[in-house]
Amino acid sequence: MRLHPLSVVYRTGAAVSRLAWILVFLTVGSSQVGGLGPLRVVGLVVAALVLAGGYQLLYYRRFDYELTGDSLDIRSGVLSRRDREIPLDRVQNVDISSTAVGRVLGIAAVGIETAGGSDTEASLRYVGNQEAERLQDEISRLKRGVDPGEEAAEPAEPAREAFAIGLKELLLLGAVSVDLRLVPVLSVLLSVAAPSLATQLDPRMVGSSLVVAPLLLVAFYLVSAALSGAFAIANYYGFRLTQASDELRYERGLLQRYSGTIPLAKVQSLTIRANVLARAIGYASLAVETAGYGEEGGSQSAIPFATREKALELVREIEGVELDEFERPPKRARSRYAVRYTALALVVAGGAAAVERFTELQFPWWVGLALVPAALVYAHYAWKLRGVALLEDHVVTRNGVFVQTVQVVPYYRVQTLSTSATWFARRRDLATLVIDTAGSSGLRDSNPRAVDFGTDRVRELRAEIESRFEERITERRAERRRERVAALARSAGPAD
Amino acid sequence: MTADAGEADSPPAAEPDDRDPEPAPGPATEDLEPAVTEAGDGDSAGIDPEEIDVASLTGPVRSLDPRVRLVWIAQSLLTAVVLGAVVSVGSALTFGPAWPGGVVTAVLATAGSVHALLRYRRWSYQVQADSLVLERGVFTEVTTVVPYVRIQHVDASRGPVERLAGLATTVVYTAGTRGADVSVPGLTPEDAEGLQRRLKRLAIAAEGDDAV
Repeated sequence: MRLHPLSVVYRTGAAVSRLAWILVFLTVGSSQVGGLGPLRVVGLVVAALVLAGGYQLLYYRRFDYELTGDSLDIRSGVLSRRDREIPLDRVQNVDISSTAVGRVLGIAAVGIETAGGSDTEASLRYVGNQEAERLQDEISRLKRGVDPGEEAAEPAEPAREAFAIGLKELLLLGAVSVDLRLVPVLSVLLSVAAPSLATQLDPRMVGSSLVVAPLLLVAFYLVSAALSGAFAIANYYGFRLTQASDELRYERGLLQRYSGTIPLAKVQSLTIRANVLARAIGYASLAVETAGYGEEGGSQSAIPFATREKALELVREIEGVELDEFERPPKRARSRYAVRYTALALVVAGGAAAVERFTELQFPWWVGLALVPAALVYAHYAWKLRGVALLEDHVVTRNGVFVQTVQVVPYYRVQTLSTSATWFARRRDLATLVIDTAGSSGLRDSNPRAVDFGTDRVRELRAEIESRFEERITERRAERRRERVAALARSAGPAD
Repeated sequence: MTADAGEADSPPAAEPDDRDPEPAPGPATEDLEPAVTEAGDGDSAGIDPEEIDVASLTGPVRSLDPRVRLVWIAQSLLTAVVLGAVVSVGSALTFGPAWPGGVVTAVLATAGSVHALLRYRRWSYQVQADSLVLERGVFTEVTTVVPYVRIQHVDASRGPVERLAGLATTVVYTAGTRGADVSVPGLTPEDAEGLQRRLKRLAIAAEGDDAV
């Protein structure tokens, strides 16, 4: 199969527009030197278009893919040729994305994710919309056929809608999102605006900073909420999640549309995430981790934002898990946090006092001491909101104060188990259990962990998870052998 | 590698460098199971998981080779000297006194050496029946359990300082996100090779299915 012919046009346009800044630079530079007339600029543009177009035409002509019964074969490359065969049962996700321009042209990019590597395994740029959907459907269908356990040719049950986002959720998502990445941007803006502010306010006045600080916070929140809302609408507008017998499929996006598949057999873990504002109104998000490397590092948003009940309902449907009671760390963990965060607060207050004392800056440094009670409150919640639960088939962990994450890991998805205890933790007889899975990596999606439980309890937890892991593995091994024997019996049968 | 006539008609699952000629497996099992090779032959391909004697491969808690202390001390000395030199240069450029560089080197070298000694005392590993267990860490004590089912592959690596001391590191990879964390340093080349071979066999015996 070939890519869509219009992909040549689109890719050429994309390549030239990527180089446009050089052109701008040349034109602007030339207007000062006077060496490059408008005719030459036009000539350059045409030359670039011809070169890029020629290359993209070759790329198009030499790109060939084929969906065989059990693999996707791709032959590509202009200068260096590359032949690939991707076994379909190794495919984690199939993603379709189309930009606004692509949607006008009716073409979309298809990305095939497999485990391993740090990149999308293969991407078809670009195929027609219908072809993209056909590929997605066919790969799902063939994968189902490949699975020897389900050879009984049951008709695929029709996909049903599991979740659809509404405008209310999108606006709420904006309202509860506080994006700390805005801090540097806003502080730059503030430093520009600050001199004029400073002339109007007497810095020695205690009252002034007490008034200005909350105002700044409110302004920051409003800007952040507006931007997050816009981001949420652009990304998740029209989000729809459908569930078939063995996979989830989502589509989303206002201008750029994305759609993707999440095979349920490849799910590594589930994460329910909610920041403090979202929790206050009873909302949360749900992400499904697979071992693929999508744009969000293998973590696919199954529910961008919905009521907590809705998220829990989907968890129940995907993994059959009822989230109930969590076991909390012992109280001495709370004392540990109290000491830790009080010390931190004192360091900050002390730093402020030192700045006040040794520099020209004058401000009420003792306001920093208000951090101490705040630290105690934070310590309490840091303790209270941590938890672990060993269920029938899953281990569930809960962590985080400002952003709470609940992670659900099936025992048979465990890769390694680690316990660690720092010197401070050992003094209080505490340790942490880290459960590693093949799911997504990165800072945001840190591993599930049971933090600061008693050393003996952590040892018990580890032994318990280990033994249940072994049980599940043994079950699966036996199942696989049965399947192999069944497959052998079939292939030996008269049908072949 | 030796081109062995005995392997000429074996199924493709067997690697060509099987050193010992083995009776070809029965035709009925050919599609199902790879060729059987003799235990201890160092080649992981083509071993029947059922044939592996797991008990003979496991062992007691082992500590590292004492020479690893020299490696770690040498590494910390190197760091100390480099950082000391940086401080000295900085001090010289700002027309400061000459002693800070020396002090930095001395302090870092002492701390690094003490750390290396403690680290050696804390490090141990054990090849258990179902998993490899590592215990290590001076300030933060860490115990890692790697089930053999999860082992993707096992590497041996030798850094420059390690080579000087005649030591090697065995690195165990899983599909996990912290996979590269699992490595056993301070092994003699024979031990490293032995551990690698044992882990490979145990991983095969565990018959791991696709973890992902």
